[in-house]
Amino acid sequence: MNKRLQDMFARLTGAEKARIADEHRRAYDFDPRDPLFGLSKDEISGPKLSRRSFLRLVAASGGSISLSHLMGAAGIALPAATRAFAQGGGHLICGWAGTAEITTLDPAQINQVLQFQVASNVLSGLTHINADLVAEGDLATDWTVSDDGLVWTFNLREGVTWHNGDAFSAADVVFTYNRSKDPAQSIHSGNLVNVLDVVALDDMTIQLSLGKPQASLLVKTLERSSGRAMTIVSQHAIESMGLQEYGLMPVGTGPFRVTGHQLGQGVVLERFDDYYDPARPVVDKVTIIPIPENEPLAAAIETGDIHLIGGNGVAAELVDRFLMNPDLVVDEIPGNGFQSVFVNPWREPMVVEDFNLSVDELKQQNGFKVRLALAKAFDRERFIQRALFGRGVPAFGTINPAMGYYFDTGINETSEQRFDVAAAQALLADAGYPDGEGFPTLKLLTTPAGRRQAEVIVDMYRSNLNITIELDIKDFTVLIEDANRMEYDLLRLGSGGDFDPDDGLVDWMLSDSRFNGANRNDADLVEKYGERAFGFFSADRVNELINQQAVTADPAARKALVQEANQLTSDKLASIFIFHGTEILVHRAEVTYPPESRIVGLRDLDRVSLS
Amino acid sequence: MRYFVARVIQALIVVWAVGTLVFFMLRAVPGDPIAALLADVDPTAADAIRAKLGLDQPVIVQYVFWLRNTLAGDLGQSLYGSHQAVNVQIAEAAPRTVSLAVVAFLVSFTLGLSAGIISAVKKDSLLDYGFNFAAFLGISMPSFWIGIVLIIVFAVNLRWFPAIGYRPMSAGLDQWLRYLILPGLAVGLPFSASIARLTRSAMLEVLGQDYITLARSKGLNERRVIFRHALRNALIPVVTVMGISLALLFSGSVVVENVFAIKGLGRVLIQSILNRDYPVVQGSILLVAVLLVFMNLAVDMLYRVIDPRISYD
Repeated sequence: MNKRLQDMFARLTGAEKARIADEHRRAYDFDPRDPLFGLSKDEISGPKLSRRSFLRLVAASGGSISLSHLMGAAGIALPAATRAFAQGGGHLICGWAGTAEITTLDPAQINQVLQFQVASNVLSGLTHINADLVAEGDLATDWTVSDDGLVWTFNLREGVTWHNGDAFSAADVVFTYNRSKDPAQSIHSGNLVNVLDVVALDDMTIQLSLGKPQASLLVKTLERSSGRAMTIVSQHAIESMGLQEYGLMPVGTGPFRVTGHQLGQGVVLERFDDYYDPARPVVDKVTIIPIPENEPLAAAIETGDIHLIGGNGVAAELVDRFLMNPDLVVDEIPGNGFQSVFVNPWREPMVVEDFNLSVDELKQQNGFKVRLALAKAFDRERFIQRALFGRGVPAFGTINPAMGYYFDTGINETSEQRFDVAAAQALLADAGYPDGEGFPTLKLLTTPAGRRQAEVIVDMYRSNLNITIELDIKDFTVLIEDANRMEYDLLRLGSGGDFDPDDGLVDWMLSDSRFNGANRNDADLVEKYGERAFGFFSADRVNELINQQAVTADPAARKALVQEANQLTSDKLASIFIFHGTEILVHRAEVTYPPESRIVGLRDLDRVSLS
Repeated sequence: MRYFVARVIQALIVVWAVGTLVFFMLRAVPGDPIAALLADVDPTAADAIRAKLGLDQPVIVQYVFWLRNTLAGDLGQSLYGSHQAVNVQIAEAAPRTVSLAVVAFLVSFTLGLSAGIISAVKKDSLLDYGFNFAAFLGISMPSFWIGIVLIIVFAVNLRWFPAIGYRPMSAGLDQWLRYLILPGLAVGLPFSASIARLTRSAMLEVLGQDYITLARSKGLNERRVIFRHALRNALIPVVTVMGISLALLFSGSVVVENVFAIKGLGRVLIQSILNRDYPVVQGSILLVAVLLVFMNLAVDMLYRVIDPRISYD
């Protein structure tokens, strides 16, 4: 518990403390930040829920349990302010930062956060994550799961219509599944490998069959924004409009409909009057303008040309300036994702051939000593101050603070990577490079946008270890090719859209993860280097833990597996984990952005209002 | 006429050569568009996407398809996102770039020519020094910097103009102009500085000629001497530069387009190069080549209008 919370707790009366303790005891494993990736079968199934399950599932087990419904059912009138809020109207203008265009809104083609930030306002999924990263029903109202966790049955929301007036039904879900499963039609086909079949039991019921239990099904695969594979699309609209037009102006069932989209100039959304929740959206119209440069973005929000910033996030150097402006509201929360410096274990002097050895055994090897020296010489706090203007938190693994329940708050004390420059210098000397003497010049591969951070890294290693690192700056298209082929000494890369531990662990840390040097054994490389058994990291125990957590239903058990895997990747130096970003929302004071819409990484605008 | 036809044929050959060179160079430079596309998605989809986009074919086969389609007026479709047709992307971006180019050209033409003429006529005066200083500043300051300064002064502080964006002429002439003034100045000022310097030196050279002395000795009005006799002869190098400038302006000013969040041809081109979006790069560069080649041709033809002594026969 941090000091501020301790102080707050100390000020409470005895009765208040007792009540909190009682609540805590009764909801013994309730954690509002628990992403609810897997509960037991009984807990997940609806509709009858125990109090404890209700607390856990208030969001996930049924979209009908919204505050307004509960209050309405209880005969409680909404306060006048809330009613006025709901009648808001107005035209909200948003700037999408750091991008020249929103290339597509078709979920089958979406490959950037800034795209699904828009799509999430237009299209729906069976579920949608809320501000606590818990999955709520979206087009599904409730669901049941079989004893073995392999068959999921979803009841769909009645009376939902598409923006073109068609009625929504189970056939749309089946169509979306078949489309997304086909790699020629969707770039997300791999996300459905574990979903063997989706069938419509009737117009309003569908059944999913899984190959093996999947803890992240609700929050990842079926999620409407970041999920994408099962963001529900309209067959009729795709066939009548064609893919190109659908990609720009998709027909959805979401709170806003797209009424205009010119690549690079912006997207126009208008309130969808037949949205299933009549209280949303609050504003009548939203215009989203891509603004690639920082200074014009800042000028636009300062002058009121735009009301809110979305897209790639606000550049760290602008945040203090915005904080000093009384016309602006700045809200900073832990961001998802992790950022790393990957160290190629196939290049001298960082060679490690077998990560299955224990950490103590690894520490006997010179290659590992060098890797550990690089990790321990990395002053994360200083890096965050210098490169990120203080906007970030030190990272020691893929699991980030935004994941709340799964995040290990003590890893900064326990990781082998923790900062200790004297130990780093000793390790380097032990590896044969006292005071950096004789250490070869390494190259740090990064993108043009990453130059500033890379320069701080170069300077840090020069002063802490007396070694020379040169920048190797390449466009992202070239960098990713080199990364996949393991053609680098050091690589600055990371992930930005993680809501579930699977995103960091499954996608990056498994031996056969998609980012783990997938093309390392291309024919020309085998001729040059010989067969390389793995990419940047491979450890059997880590693989075992990651695969096990992916199918573990019990949150506490899953948390233990996730944290053990995370600790091992940290201690064995799968990469030098450097920071987790913070998510900064900036809007003008006349915009009300309610807490329930403050979902990390997203800009859900349906509850946002303008005064 | 024969000369004109020969020049058009030459121009078409140059355009074809540029297109072909770009086609093969793009495929030779490192960077796999599909790898970038699949950076955070399913790599198993890569082969399916390559086959769908024809990128699994030998390069020469891809070239033949591209040439055939280009001759038929089809520049292909983007490899990314909604796979929008290149023709549509260019058609959407072109009016914005043309609008910006027109305003920037008017700024550069008006300011540059007047400053150059006044500097030459009032040589070594305070006015001449002032214009020279301003021209040096204009040449030295990059247009994106001018753009940002204009935004800070006229959008953030004075609130006279919007900081970003574009309105089409269909939204009203006033709106169209309101959104284009700052970007037009940002693009036009550096060009006007070059034109001012060039006009000044060309005018000074002409004003020293014997026929100008003769005109003055005949008692001709000074205004008539300057505009009728001196300027017309001084314009030839200026028109050459202005022609190339106009072609460059029509190709898009990527930096200023980025600063003012205007999706013009420059941004289409740069974005597609960064993404290795082959069809869009090829289409955009082809358009730039056509603009430059034919603008040069037009300038050559204009020489005859300005100076009837020039003959191409």
